[in-house]
Amino acid sequence: MGRKKKKQMKPWCWYCNRDFDDEKILIQHQKAKHFKCHICHKKLYTGPGLAIHCMQVHKETIDGVPNAIPGRVDIELEIYGMEGIPEKDMQERRRTLEQKQESQKKKQNQDDSDEDDDDDDAPGPSSFQQPPQMTTPQPQAGYAPPMSQPGMPPGAGAPGMPPGGYSGMPPMMPGVPPMMHGMPPGMHGMPPGMMHGMGGMMPPMMPGMPGMPPGMPPHMGHRPGLPHMAPAPAAAGMPRPAAATAAPAAVTKPLFPSAVQMGSHAPSTASSSVSVDSQSAAASKPLFSNSPQAQQSASGAVPHSVPSTSSDPPKATFPAYTQSSAPSSSNPPSSTVAKPPATVTSKPATLTTTSATSKLIHPDEDISLEERRAQLPRYQRNVPRQGQVHMSAPPVAAVGGMMPPQQGMPPQQPGMRHPMHGQYGAPPQGMPGYMQGGMPPYGQGPPMGYQGGPPMGMRPPVMSPAGRY
Amino acid sequence: RKTRTMTGSNEYKLNNSPEDSISAVKFSPSTGQFLLVSSWDSTVRLYDVAGNSMRMKYSHLAPVLDCAFYDPTHAWSGGLDTQLKTHDLNTDQDTIVGTHDAAIRCVEYCPEVNVMVTGSWDRSVKLWDPRTPCNAGTFTQPEKVYTLSVAGDRLIVGTAGRRVLVWDLRNMGYVQQRRESSLKYQTRAIRAFPNKQGYVLSSIEGRVAVEYLDPSQEVQKKKYAFKCHRLKENGIEQVYPVNAISFHSVHNTFATGGSDGFVNIWDPFNKKRLCQFHRYPTSIASLAFSNDGSTLAIASSYMQEQGDINHPEDAVFIRQVTDAETKPK
Repeated sequence: MGRKKKKQMKPWCWYCNRDFDDEKILIQHQKAKHFKCHICHKKLYTGPGLAIHCMQVHKETIDGVPNAIPGRVDIELEIYGMEGIPEKDMQERRRTLEQKQESQKKKQNQDDSDEDDDDDDAPGPSSFQQPPQMTTPQPQAGYAPPMSQPGMPPGAGAPGMPPGGYSGMPPMMPGVPPMMHGMPPGMHGMPPGMMHGMGGMMPPMMPGMPGMPPGMPPHMGHRPGLPHMAPAPAAAGMPRPAAATAAPAAVTKPLFPSAVQMGSHAPSTASSSVSVDSQSAAASKPLFSNSPQAQQSASGAVPHSVPSTSSDPPKATFPAYTQSSAPSSSNPPSSTVAKPPATVTSKPATLTTTSATSKLIHPDEDISLEERRAQLPRYQRNVPRQGQVHMSAPPVAAVGGMMPPQQGMPPQQPGMRHPMHGQYGAPPQGMPGYMQGGMPPYGQGPPMGYQGGPPMGMRPPVMSPAGRY
Repeated sequence: RKTRTMTGSNEYKLNNSPEDSISAVKFSPSTGQFLLVSSWDSTVRLYDVAGNSMRMKYSHLAPVLDCAFYDPTHAWSGGLDTQLKTHDLNTDQDTIVGTHDAAIRCVEYCPEVNVMVTGSWDRSVKLWDPRTPCNAGTFTQPEKVYTLSVAGDRLIVGTAGRRVLVWDLRNMGYVQQRRESSLKYQTRAIRAFPNKQGYVLSSIEGRVAVEYLDPSQEVQKKKYAFKCHRLKENGIEQVYPVNAISFHSVHNTFATGGSDGFVNIWDPFNKKRLCQFHRYPTSIASLAFSNDGSTLAIASSYMQEQGDINHPEDAVFIRQVTDAETKPK
């Protein structure tokens, strides 16, 4: 009997146990069903690919592969068609198939055997394609009925959006999240992206978002749509103190090692700079000179009176979402989306630096390399202690050379002292009155008309150090 | 797409380089002969590039994060000590012009409006009248300032949280444009086109965006972004921060420097890479074309992307560049 011979296993989808005649079709299925981004509908190639995409493009974590049966949601597994399926599942599949064939055979033998020939043509596994109709005694472990998954609990049926993941949903959208969770199983045929896509789009419509004043403390402005980022920043703040405490062990370099040389170099410079000096005279320009260049630039661009907001096409509601798909598709003519006015950014406080296929050569914290480095004790020796100086009662004064994590703290506070003030014949700087940023040190009033209202009026509100982001 | 890798004798290393990481290199506005170099060793050095010698050095109390020429005889600098200094290169004398409430991250000069501009981690930009010299206004930014660049009389500020703000230096009463970076990762550097029509923004994630200031949709359509400074190693793509951008003032092409140690020169109009230089010993921390575009200063200096570890020595390379390398084809 033909059906006995060991044929190569027919393609099947590890994620949902569906059978396919052709691996190409299987791959299409996987891309459409399991590797599709629920926000932008981009079809990725693997589970990790999807996870990376969602993280990098939409800043969302994906906890499981969408539309996978329970136990097959592992987003980390790199499965592509029939490649990469865990060996144990392959074996199990083989076993099950054999059992099925056995039972089928028995059944067929009991029934009228006329159809044997047909079965021969369609080798074992293919007959397996409609398991629901078949009277399989009991599904093997981890072997849920494929396809429509009628009996599946909604949560499990859409692993791409495990309940936890949706805590990320803005709470103000009562309608949506419940729909997700409670999505009737029958709806699984519907592209999950649709619903999710909407979810993704919601945040920008949140009340209060677009109009947020510029001076708003940034951490308050994190997209409500992505609250899962909120906890992250707090965590991100943690390594900092740790690093700072660990660092005292590091060797401190002398800060002015070669100051000695200076004298010897000075004379030569002086002579050379004489010639330079004449150039400088020519180069020096009057204050606010109306150089032709300036006009040029003005003509080349917007009239300055146009406020930024009006200029922004009303298009993109939420750039991070809208643009995301574009930049991700590697190359140039991608992101054309115009910026919305003053959308408050959400930045991940921690970066995903490593993925299956790439590694970002950068520390995990989403602060600049310089900020991070500045925390090293050897650089802190002569740095005004921000946190201490700013707080009227310096609580951490004892910690030598350590810059308290001042991330979330508004740096502008009166009463700050700088050690070197006034030393170089510039007494005004040392004057306590010069603290608030807008004050000109030389008492010449609002110089040059720069004391624009908004900046002054919108200094970040004072926040407690706890309000870290 | 062919890229030439260039090495050769058209390049040398500056003697007497800083003793800690280099934060910025800036050419004199008048000549390619003088180069300012600020460093984490708390110094700002003036080099005679042609003679390959250090001509002067002055110190801050703490690492210096940026420096700039006001005119050929005055250097301005700021850093972790929060003080803005100007140094007279003729008399070798310091003046503390003022302070920020936190580290000064950026120092630039705007010739069109004749102001010095500083950006700080205290979430503000301050303007300074370079003649007096004194503070000429403080302007709150939504986040810590990471980078800024002057385009004519406009100021483009890149902050933490991927924000970009465009200010009109002649009317600082309000923010002219508020933008979000089109790149998904932290903004590393912004430099304006010499033609003042736009800017290039780089992120920590091996990517560069070309942006235009004109907010009209037509113009905005032209903007784009591309990946760069990525290396495939053992099947894993290593993605490096793009730390440095410098424009060629004549051709409006630009060089980028990444933590991969490479310098690329790009033609933003044809969206092509014009050339890639050899790999430098470590991260490219700063780049500066001389005013005439004939020379590129390249600071190769580890930036602790992978922590406080041993690394190749900090160095500034001076490279003579040709039109073949910098001119759109």
